[in-house]
Amino acid sequence: MTTQSPPPSRASAQLSNTKTTVEFRVALAAMAIVALLPLGVGNAYWLGVLIVSMYFAILAGGWNLLAGYAGQFSLAPATFAMIGAYTTGLLNHYYGVPPLLGIVAAIVVSGLVGLLLGRAVLRLAGPYLALTTLSFAEIMRLVAANSIDITRGDLGLGVAGLLDSRVGWYYLFLGALTVLLVLFYLLLRSKAGLFLQAIRDDEVAARRAGVDVVFWKTAAFALSAAASGFAGALYAHFAELVTPELGLIAQTGLILSMVVIGGMGTLAGPIIAAFLVYVLSEWLRDVGGYQLVVFAALVVIFARFFREGLWGLAMAAVRRWRQA
Amino acid sequence: MSGIDVDLAVNGLITGLFYALMAIGLSLIFGILKIVNFAHGEFYMVGAYAYTLIALALGVPVWVALPLAFVVGAALGWLTERTLMRPLYAGYTSWGLMRDEYAVIVTFGLSLFLINLVDKVIGPYAYRGPPLVETSRIVLGPVLISGHRLLAAGIAIAVIAITAALIKWSFWGQQIRAVSQNRLGASLAGIDTAKASAIVFMLSGGLAAFAGALLSPVINASPDVGVFPAIKSYIIVVLGGMGSVPGAIIASLALGVIESFGAVYLSYQYRDAFGLILLMLFLLFRPQGLFGEKGREV
Amino acid sequence: MTLLSVRGVTKRYGGLVAVNNVSFDVAAGELVGLIGPNGSGKTTLLNILSGLADPDAGEILLDGKPCQGLTPEKLAHRGMMRMFQLTRVFRRMNVIDNLLVAGRALGLKPGEALDRARSLISELRLDAVAALDAGQLSGGQMKLLEFGVCFMVPPRIALLDEPFAAVHPTMKEIMGGFIRSRHENGQTFLLVSHDMPVVVELCPRAICMNAGAVVIDAPTRAVLADARVIEAYLGGQAA
Ligand SMILES: Nc1ncnc2c1ncn2[C@@H]1O[C@H](COP(=O)(O)OP(=O)(O)OP(=O)(O)O)[C@@H](O)[C@H]1O
Ligand SMILES: [Mg+2]
Repeated sequence: MTTQSPPPSRASAQLSNTKTTVEFRVALAAMAIVALLPLGVGNAYWLGVLIVSMYFAILAGGWNLLAGYAGQFSLAPATFAMIGAYTTGLLNHYYGVPPLLGIVAAIVVSGLVGLLLGRAVLRLAGPYLALTTLSFAEIMRLVAANSIDITRGDLGLGVAGLLDSRVGWYYLFLGALTVLLVLFYLLLRSKAGLFLQAIRDDEVAARRAGVDVVFWKTAAFALSAAASGFAGALYAHFAELVTPELGLIAQTGLILSMVVIGGMGTLAGPIIAAFLVYVLSEWLRDVGGYQLVVFAALVVIFARFFREGLWGLAMAAVRRWRQA
Repeated sequence: MSGIDVDLAVNGLITGLFYALMAIGLSLIFGILKIVNFAHGEFYMVGAYAYTLIALALGVPVWVALPLAFVVGAALGWLTERTLMRPLYAGYTSWGLMRDEYAVIVTFGLSLFLINLVDKVIGPYAYRGPPLVETSRIVLGPVLISGHRLLAAGIAIAVIAITAALIKWSFWGQQIRAVSQNRLGASLAGIDTAKASAIVFMLSGGLAAFAGALLSPVINASPDVGVFPAIKSYIIVVLGGMGSVPGAIIASLALGVIESFGAVYLSYQYRDAFGLILLMLFLLFRPQGLFGEKGREV
Repeated sequence: MTLLSVRGVTKRYGGLVAVNNVSFDVAAGELVGLIGPNGSGKTTLLNILSGLADPDAGEILLDGKPCQGLTPEKLAHRGMMRMFQLTRVFRRMNVIDNLLVAGRALGLKPGEALDRARSLISELRLDAVAALDAGQLSGGQMKLLEFGVCFMVPPRIALLDEPFAAVHPTMKEIMGGFIRSRHENGQTFLLVSHDMPVVVELCPRAICMNAGAVVIDAPTRAVLADARVIEAYLGGQAA
């Protein structure tokens, strides 16, 4: 061994399974805290902020599965939220399909579209994949915005509500987020977690080892898209309005910043960061509106200097503290 | 060809010239670092503002403000390369894996940063740049064109020609092409690859800013004014074969004309989607572009 | 009994015939050396055998069943396991997980896979670095790890592409011992190497390629003494 390579650190001295479990527990603890917040936060505005945070937490978690674990850097997570929102929105608006059924349909439709996209881009990587998914995202948004006869374009499509109480919505979103968190955990703890990361690191080596790369890559696209579509559909009925703005590239930028700041390829980081980023951004909005400037700068700084994100920084701090 | 068609073709070609100013830089960056610069549109935006504000706020003549916009863009390009692109090649071996992701994240982040910074500091309102000449409509046979646009097109042709010549024949142009073909080989041959990357970023920042400045009397400077030109240049760079400068120029002109006709004969509503659909189809079925050869597999 | 049968396999890259009408058989339990000067087509042949390149002509039989054109993952499941000349590991996963990927993909139960991984780690003397990410290993350790990946589930035939290149003598020892002991237990190998002493020591039989074609296929000592082989090496780049 060369003298430069660092000594085994305690965090990596664990099986990745154990690592995932630690992350899962921390994320669950964070969800427990979020569950208690409405006791203190009576303010409808801040409840709304937290609800939107959870919307983004689902999106960040779903995209992290695809980009952070499977290494497929798609630039379309917000698009799938938009697709989910329009699925239930159109079904509801035109056929009076009840929201719950519409949400299920949204999960299925966005998952299927994700599967098709995943199939299509199977052989693309790096800048080619980023460009293809980016143009997919823009095409979808342009179609939604310009099909005015059907979607009413930028005016937005009014859809039915689901719950009357804001606190009810709060716990519905929290439930959805927690269910997804558990699902992702079970998935990542299984062989799927190993396979996705293997594909991220070296596709050829993964195939040599017998991993069915086509299947797992497509599955990652479909699952991540379904999660996004689910979030979008919930949001549609929460806001009672669906607009093409859900699919703006800037929304993807926000999701990306949450994942990067939280720590790509960790279960807890992106989800927790979604709350931090969004709540902080609402607060910054109040004190001068610099929120997006700050986050964009943070993304660049984190990517440049702290690639492991907040989660990595926290783990390093814990290690130092233990060693002291 | 009817008169309308001639008008469409000429105006499409002129639009294509402005696209080319953008796309050449993007293509050079892809060539040398094998990344897509998602902040390319913001170089354009900064150029539009630089020209407009220097000319209007400082009262400087437009003919001074125009080259100054290039300088501002070049400075921004240089700064971007120095601060953010270094890890892509400067010995961070363990970054190998993260390379593509890193490039997308930082350029995407930089793009958001610049858009929102300008939005906060200068404001969300659009500023119209002063035209180079005040002549309004010039009629050339069936073609109807504004004096500024005609003059700007002429300048664009000159700048594109100079750039192409520099890349083909100048010392640094040759070095840049060497690095683009084989970075390791070039560095073994004693070429300063870091300097080559810096020059590419300066040049492409400058060109994009120049495009923004030239178009600012037509498309007003606003924080997100660079988004569309950027998307156009992605399309062009893919059509022209990623990394190829002649390919980028030809594809720019082609896209300008296609869009100009498409908006009239196909659908105005979906005009912005055509290019993107083309982009997707190309990436999926012919990633080497219209002119490129299929590369050797690794 | 013939395990692997290569029949008239040809692969062209443009005008270059990288592999030219190559035929040979490998019996179960054999350890065959594959030698030849740089650019003679050894890696290309292994690429074809492991499904990473499609042959332009010819047939490959594994256990009597044709298997050309199958995907690398299918071939891995059928027991064709290949080690790369340029080491390939999962750089952001730790050593144990690297092994587990292969174990789980090839159908081992979680507990079984973990046991195997542990025993391979100690056999390959990777204990001290077992918890490191593979990207942090030295070049030789990465090769050892790749060895381990190939043997998580003992393959029908192991295709090794220059495992000894640029490796410290101690590690060469470990690898040599590993190959020998597996071979004694009936493991079949096709071993590409430029290291003639090792080939002589390990492989009873050798095949020499030059300019894409098989020059000679005979007992190793006879191969090394053959005038055509000496000519091929002295002639430098394949003519
Ligand atoms: N994908 C490819 N495209 C074009 N030519 C290729 C390709 N792969 C291999 N070749 C050519 O085929 C020939 C055989 O190469 P190969 O890598 O199989 O040789 P080798 O025997 O493994 O050499 P070495 O001992 O140096 O590893 C070489 O001339 C090489 O340039
Ligand atoms: Mg070889």
